[in-house]
Amino acid sequence: MAEYHLVAPLKDSDVEKLNIGDVVYISGEAFTCRSRLQKYIFDEKNVLPVSIKDRNVLIHNGPIVVKENGKWKLVSFMPTSSIRFEKWGAKSVDEWNLKMIVGKTTMGKKTMEMMKEKKCVHVSPQSVSPNLWIDSIEVQDVYLYDELGRIEACWFFRLDDIGPFIVDIDTKGNNYFDALEQEVLKKRDEVLKSIGVDPDFEYTELYRER
Amino acid sequence: MIKTEIYEQVIFETIKRGATEISKDVKLAFERAIEKETKQDAKKGLIATLKSMEMSKIRENPLCVDTGWPIFYFKVGNECELEGGFMELENATRRAVAKATEKGYIRATMKHPLTGYDPGNNVGENIPNFTYKFVDGKDIEIIYVAKGGGSECFGGTRHKVIAYADGVEGIKKFVVDCFVASTRAGAICPPSVLGVGIGGTANVAANLAKEAACLRTVGSSHPEKAFNDIEKELYKALNGLGIGIMGAGGDTSVLAVNVEYAYTHIAGICVATSSNCMVARRASTLIKDGGEVILQESPTWFDNRS
Repeated sequence: MAEYHLVAPLKDSDVEKLNIGDVVYISGEAFTCRSRLQKYIFDEKNVLPVSIKDRNVLIHNGPIVVKENGKWKLVSFMPTSSIRFEKWGAKSVDEWNLKMIVGKTTMGKKTMEMMKEKKCVHVSPQSVSPNLWIDSIEVQDVYLYDELGRIEACWFFRLDDIGPFIVDIDTKGNNYFDALEQEVLKKRDEVLKSIGVDPDFEYTELYRER
Repeated sequence: MIKTEIYEQVIFETIKRGATEISKDVKLAFERAIEKETKQDAKKGLIATLKSMEMSKIRENPLCVDTGWPIFYFKVGNECELEGGFMELENATRRAVAKATEKGYIRATMKHPLTGYDPGNNVGENIPNFTYKFVDGKDIEIIYVAKGGGSECFGGTRHKVIAYADGVEGIKKFVVDCFVASTRAGAICPPSVLGVGIGGTANVAANLAKEAACLRTVGSSHPEKAFNDIEKELYKALNGLGIGIMGAGGDTSVLAVNVEYAYTHIAGICVATSSNCMVARRASTLIKDGGEVILQESPTWFDNRS
């Protein structure tokens, strides 16, 4: 497992060298989104009010930001669950030309296929440690604040070597968590047996599941 | 009689403490997990999380950005008298939640479920939410829980009604399978404090599971052997899965498994799970009848189970 310190905007060559399980730290410009922004853009057919041409790191995140003496102050930050954005995942990677998504819970098949095609990776934190990150994040600006609210808005951040994040989807179509899931499922059977449960135990069918 | 200004201030301070300070029992569980973790990346993750949590107390910022659903438990003395009555207690709680949101101790997370409308203060229909328990005496214990979205939305909180015939084996299988499914890719932010509710109607089982996850002291045991045995078995079993912090592999997958139960209709046993994420945020404060305020290390919700 290698460790990389990457600077955004990312090039194809920056992300193509990454393999699942590698550890990355990221510097440079990034932006945030949550469901409300993707619905606003992709379903409600609105246009982002600002160019993200040179901003290809997306952080799934709803930060806590307050205004202090006329300036934005980041109070807390933690990447959020990516799987809930699966509906818009492939579209986001394609239309926003993303090279990296920072989030947790990894993403689904459709997004992974697009990530492979467009050369994009997904990375996840291995801790819940906002205080080790917020000093390394400068809030540059915010868009759609009035339309979408404080945490659903599109925040522009400048990152200074924040991490560590583990690469869980690489550009070759591999998923770190798929591999780990197989190991856990193997252990599941042993674990169930150890507490007196038959791994193939079948429940009495009280009603037909539909 | 406890004055409004006293309980309103206590509620605000309890929200702040719950959102920004790690509980003593959770800290202890983290220290134990760090000590025994054999996978280096997982150990680093646990250390980073504990360090960040300790910094939150000094910086007075949330332990995690997602402060989730603001939920309140009131353990109320039967003779407790509040200025303005219990409707005013709930109004004061709404005001305190709005103030804590404005100050940045909790995030404006609560939205209209259909329109997405954001009141900006975490106050809306049925939110904050209130649960009461009545006991002897004149005091009131105020408990705030910040119930994060990760641990709630991604399979950590589920229920199933099983046949009486399926018994303990069916109960344990359901819990293990829910946990395996919900920890994939760290969805519920493990290591979890896992609550299990057994019996009652579905809502009773779900409430017991939530209370077991959020209100029991981490490291405590159910006083009845049959349930404590299930707790011990599941604790060992789930930690044997190799899920680890944020589901990326490691030795500690649960910080605790807490089981609570209710009598049930023999036609079916409802089993419910509720997972709390690793930061397991809650705070508890007791207000005595004379207005004396006592900060508690852990809620006493389950003391003297009936």
